[in-house]
Amino acid sequence: MWAYVIRRLWQMIPTIVGVVLLVFVLFNLFGGDPAYVLAGKISNPEQIDNIRRQLGVDQPYYVQLGIFFKQILTADFGASWSTNEPVSHILATRLGPSLTVLVPLLVLETLIAIGLALAVAYVRGSLTDRMVMIVCTVGLSVSILVYIIVFQYVFAYQLGWFPVQGWGNDFRENLVRYASLPILILLVVSIAPNLRLYRTFVLDEINQDYVRTARAKGLSENRIMWVHVLRNASIPMITHVMAALPGLLIGAFLVERFFSIPGIGREVILAVERSDFPVIKALTVYVAIATMVANLAADPHVQGRRPAGAAQMSALFDPHPGCAGRPQRGGRR
Amino acid sequence: MNDATMKPPLAARREIPHVVSPGLWTLAWRRLVSDSVAMVSLAIVVAFVLLMAASGLGVIAADWAREVGVNYAPPTFVGPDAAPAAPGAPGRAGEPAAPAGPTPGSAFDSTVVDPIGDVLAELKAEAKGKAEAPPAPGGFVDPLADVMKEIDAAKAAPPEGKSVDPLADVMKDIEAGRGAKEPAAAPAATERRATLPFGADKWGRDVIAKTIKGSETSIFVGLAAALVATFIGTVLGAVAGYYGRWVDDTLNWFYSIFSSIPYLLLILAVAAVLQHKGTMTIVFILGLTGWTGVFRLIRAEYLKHKGREYVQAADAIGASNARRMFRHIFPNVSHVVLVQMSILVVAFIKSEVILSYLGFGVPVDVVSWGSMLNEAQNELLLGKWWQLAAAGGTMAVLVTAFSLFTDALRDALDPKLKGTTGQ
Amino acid sequence: MRGPVRTLRVAAAAAGLAVLVGATAAHGAADPRKVVRDVFPAAETGFDPAAVSDLYSAGVIRAIFETLLTYDYLARPAKLVPQVAAAMPQATDDGRTWTVKVRPGIHFAADPAFGGRKRELTAADVVYSFKRLADPKLRSPWSFLVEGKFVGLDEETAAAKKSGRFDYDRKVAGLEAVDRYTVRFRMKDPDYNLPYVMAHEAAAVVAREVVEKYAESDGRVMSNPVGTGPYRLGQWVRSAKIVLEANADYRGFTWDFAPQQPGDDRLVARMKGKSMPQVGRVEISVMEEDQARWLAFQGGELDLMNMEGPLAPNAIGADGRIAPALAAKGVRLDRFVEPEIRFIYWNMRDPDTGGLAQEKVALRRALAMSYDAAEEVRVVLNGQAVEAAYPIPPGVVGHDPAWKSAIRYDPAGANALLDRFGYKRGPDGWRTWPDGRPLVITYASRPDTQNRQLEELVKKGYDAIGVRMAPQKDRFPELLKQEKQCRLPSREAAWVADYPDGDNFMQLFYGPNSYQSNFACVTIPEYDALYKRTVRMPPGPERDRLYREMVRILEAYAPHRMTVSRYRNQLIQPRVEGYRKHPTLPSQWQYIDVGANPN
Repeated sequence: MWAYVIRRLWQMIPTIVGVVLLVFVLFNLFGGDPAYVLAGKISNPEQIDNIRRQLGVDQPYYVQLGIFFKQILTADFGASWSTNEPVSHILATRLGPSLTVLVPLLVLETLIAIGLALAVAYVRGSLTDRMVMIVCTVGLSVSILVYIIVFQYVFAYQLGWFPVQGWGNDFRENLVRYASLPILILLVVSIAPNLRLYRTFVLDEINQDYVRTARAKGLSENRIMWVHVLRNASIPMITHVMAALPGLLIGAFLVERFFSIPGIGREVILAVERSDFPVIKALTVYVAIATMVANLAADPHVQGRRPAGAAQMSALFDPHPGCAGRPQRGGRR
Repeated sequence: MNDATMKPPLAARREIPHVVSPGLWTLAWRRLVSDSVAMVSLAIVVAFVLLMAASGLGVIAADWAREVGVNYAPPTFVGPDAAPAAPGAPGRAGEPAAPAGPTPGSAFDSTVVDPIGDVLAELKAEAKGKAEAPPAPGGFVDPLADVMKEIDAAKAAPPEGKSVDPLADVMKDIEAGRGAKEPAAAPAATERRATLPFGADKWGRDVIAKTIKGSETSIFVGLAAALVATFIGTVLGAVAGYYGRWVDDTLNWFYSIFSSIPYLLLILAVAAVLQHKGTMTIVFILGLTGWTGVFRLIRAEYLKHKGREYVQAADAIGASNARRMFRHIFPNVSHVVLVQMSILVVAFIKSEVILSYLGFGVPVDVVSWGSMLNEAQNELLLGKWWQLAAAGGTMAVLVTAFSLFTDALRDALDPKLKGTTGQ
Repeated sequence: MRGPVRTLRVAAAAAGLAVLVGATAAHGAADPRKVVRDVFPAAETGFDPAAVSDLYSAGVIRAIFETLLTYDYLARPAKLVPQVAAAMPQATDDGRTWTVKVRPGIHFAADPAFGGRKRELTAADVVYSFKRLADPKLRSPWSFLVEGKFVGLDEETAAAKKSGRFDYDRKVAGLEAVDRYTVRFRMKDPDYNLPYVMAHEAAAVVAREVVEKYAESDGRVMSNPVGTGPYRLGQWVRSAKIVLEANADYRGFTWDFAPQQPGDDRLVARMKGKSMPQVGRVEISVMEEDQARWLAFQGGELDLMNMEGPLAPNAIGADGRIAPALAAKGVRLDRFVEPEIRFIYWNMRDPDTGGLAQEKVALRRALAMSYDAAEEVRVVLNGQAVEAAYPIPPGVVGHDPAWKSAIRYDPAGANALLDRFGYKRGPDGWRTWPDGRPLVITYASRPDTQNRQLEELVKKGYDAIGVRMAPQKDRFPELLKQEKQCRLPSREAAWVADYPDGDNFMQLFYGPNSYQSNFACVTIPEYDALYKRTVRMPPGPERDRLYREMVRILEAYAPHRMTVSRYRNQLIQPRVEGYRKHPTLPSQWQYIDVGANPN
């Protein structure tokens, strides 16, 4: 297994190189020129040249690209061009708030989705099954923008159940007080696609031979569902959740902006608005690496699970494909 | 969502020779027809598509941009605003409203501010004198002076001055010609209605017409972008899966790059590259960034199918690679493509809203659900909930119908899940 | 800079009270339990006076640092008063030489950079702070405030560009510390705007030791502000929350300002004689979304909030008064027109719309006449603006409130003008250039909701005169880049006063300022000739006369269409006392008081 992991890690290198090249081309060649914004209200071409020189964007592209690679190798992306905040500090401080929202979200989402999935799979084909699926689909169908606007207005402002916005220093306060409503909104839009996916995991397990064997041995249906099926179906579910995390770091920017949560997603939007290349580049590269690692962790080979299922599993747990990842991320954005 | 991948393990498949069932679609259709939720969903989707076609052909909502109501005219069932909302009376014929004068509590009081000396009074007096008889502009030549003289209709001088206003003469000319119809002028205040069936937007445009037009754009964006993404994903996936080896490696590399970069940054970057030209730009932004899922599934399908007997048979009779890929294998994976495409339609319709939020929405002469929702973002707090409700609700209905139909389609097309759900 | 000088009475006794070095305990008057909660709609960037250009960071800088001069809190029109200067600066030599005395006994807050003690501010600090603006390594966005003005400074900048290091020790003839408390400025040309520069945040006085201790790689000190002002930076969660705590080493002052406007009497009665600052803690949150800010204010989570156009009807009636529901809760409104102008320009160097040829002038005028600025005020900005006629806005020296612009909304007139100059309508109703090409004018804007509405309005106007509008959407950096290269065809630009003098606005249309701040790249020889005369004149009726002539020239050639100046609507919770938004000062927490904390 370790040989496999090492091989997969080795295979990441060309991908990272590709990511770097693509990011470089997209932002350095086509992105805005930061010098004009940084130059202030009244600036002359000389000052612009001076700023470009200070930032190093006047260098030939190959030199800039070389610097970019060096930054990745040394994990030192320098400082933000507009605030001078070290990029490493940005990552370190913004990650906490993001995870404060995302980790509870994923835990809750997984628990609820698994519970529901087992329940509806148990009564599969029944009216309940269909109604749960339909309700979840309806929930998913409203734009997250509408949810945020309406929920913030109704639940936070009118009913006063939550604070309208905010973020403090205390982890518990943040989690309980400030993160609750954002988590609720994200739950509403993300349960449906996951429930659907998990339901198929469960159904897949139900059709396995061991379940028939268990039934033949006379085990109770409850025991089969909650012990045997759950144990086996939960592995793909958890790996699926893990693989979704990196994408969500940035994907949750909408709630971060509306609820003033100082997380990664908001920082990305800010950096793009300011053409703050060091921040954009660092975040892209780190999130890309995190995505790849998460994919690797979700790989059944790595988890040493039964090889028979491997082929289907690896196709299933890809966090990006249309089957679950893409629309889901679309929904969360 | 995973029909394509829920095939039995390889070993099992060997024993059950894969039959290219000509009845797959027929069977799927039969299953669909028997599914009432699917049929209702389908009916809704078809209704929307018809709506889109009618709107696209200009049969309905062609003049959505006409300002038929007063600003923020409420829905009829709510009744007209008792007192027109601030500020300014709604609707007007075309004469500029008087600029707001100094209001109580305003800090400046139509005075020239001078932190240095007390030239204030002096200036005020001068300004007053100026308004009455402005001095002739000294030392510069009005580039249009000759023409102005020429078209001077010898009317009385406008109140604010004789020779100073460079447009004075043209104004006179125009005054003379007034009374004739003004082209493309907004409807006069009297024509504007106080209420509309489902209210009006900020400008007084009918929200229903706008929503219909918005549906057309959003559905078009969803369908077209899904088509682009599915096309890219299918072709690349087919090539990678069919040829394998270095072709596969290269395309897979490409795929992993696209799927590793955070989606939001990818979208923003691609949007910056494509510049902003129109609705098709959005289609391409979404299409060029959303193909990876299709690629992955189609590639896996082709990997599976290329070793099958029927493909080898095609090889034996000398079919070309392209023919084998698209004539022989493709029909067997087309149900995967279809399901993926319909998933993408829904995803892209929702993504369009977010693109609008990020400022990469439809151009100004086009309306979409995304542009409406973003416009309506602040309207809820102003108590003007109708645009938000109309766009959000319509979108929810279509997306729900489309999603449910997609689910049903997937179940219908997947022989394995069919067995399980049917238990 | 004549005029009466108000000396702030220093609460000298109070300054000696708080000597607990390094303790968070506030200055004698400031009560740490008195917390005011404010909001920024955009993230701050940092707190180096020379290095930041955004309004919000500037607000924090105003609270931590001090400038030679500042503005009287209540005086309207805005009036300069000394801050760290002992008196107003004296001009000699026709405005070429300015001398200013620094008041002894002003101290930088205790900091490890000074060995843990406080340190007195001297003339050398003032000189150092001005020199920093010219340091190329710092790439200060405010370098234009000093560039080309002081004798010998530009040479230092040039030398620093070569050597890579600005030599702060070298004497500059134009910036001189004559003795411990006296600074002398020598200008290349007469410059009556220098006192405004002395009052600008960018020229706030910093200490060299602090810069040298905390400087980041490019010489900026964005995250360790140490100043002489009433507050110091407490907790700081970047782009989310900024907490300011009272500076224990601040000397304090006694609230003593004269009432000027209606409503000031009550304010003065409540505040007069108080030792300032009263507020011991300022908590600023960053909230990007209008909805979040408004709901937070209404929910009592904020004490102050600037109500912008989109949601204004919630709080402000058509008459410009506060909504009754809010008034009943005791919320107050402070409302005035911002010292800003907005205008749609057409690039004068654009091959299509530019130039001084008659048919181009007619086209620009027709485009200008097609725009309905009243509709912008009414619909786009929800009434939270006034139509602008004069390029110098209210609240700025040189503004002419009685001005009648020659350019007004008049689509019929615009059509007549276009017909006259051979921009013929085709069978489809759209016009063509005289040479037969379709007449398409590109309008560029930033991708956001409000700009989309402006774009709709521009398009409506163009449609009515048969001109096709082609939209161009770009993010701000890209727009700015094209604009500063004179490549952007047309957009609505805005200019907010850097200091309240007309020159700050009239320079926007001066030909040689193309590629700098002349957005439309306007080059009209007659205008430029007059402008050159005005820059050497002190403000006054003579300069105003020339300005009026220049504005008529602009209207004749129509490089732009004046649109609006927005209202600023500051909402104030009842527990806040003494709040009056100053048009130029970016923050005023040091002048206010708050009642008991609500929670």
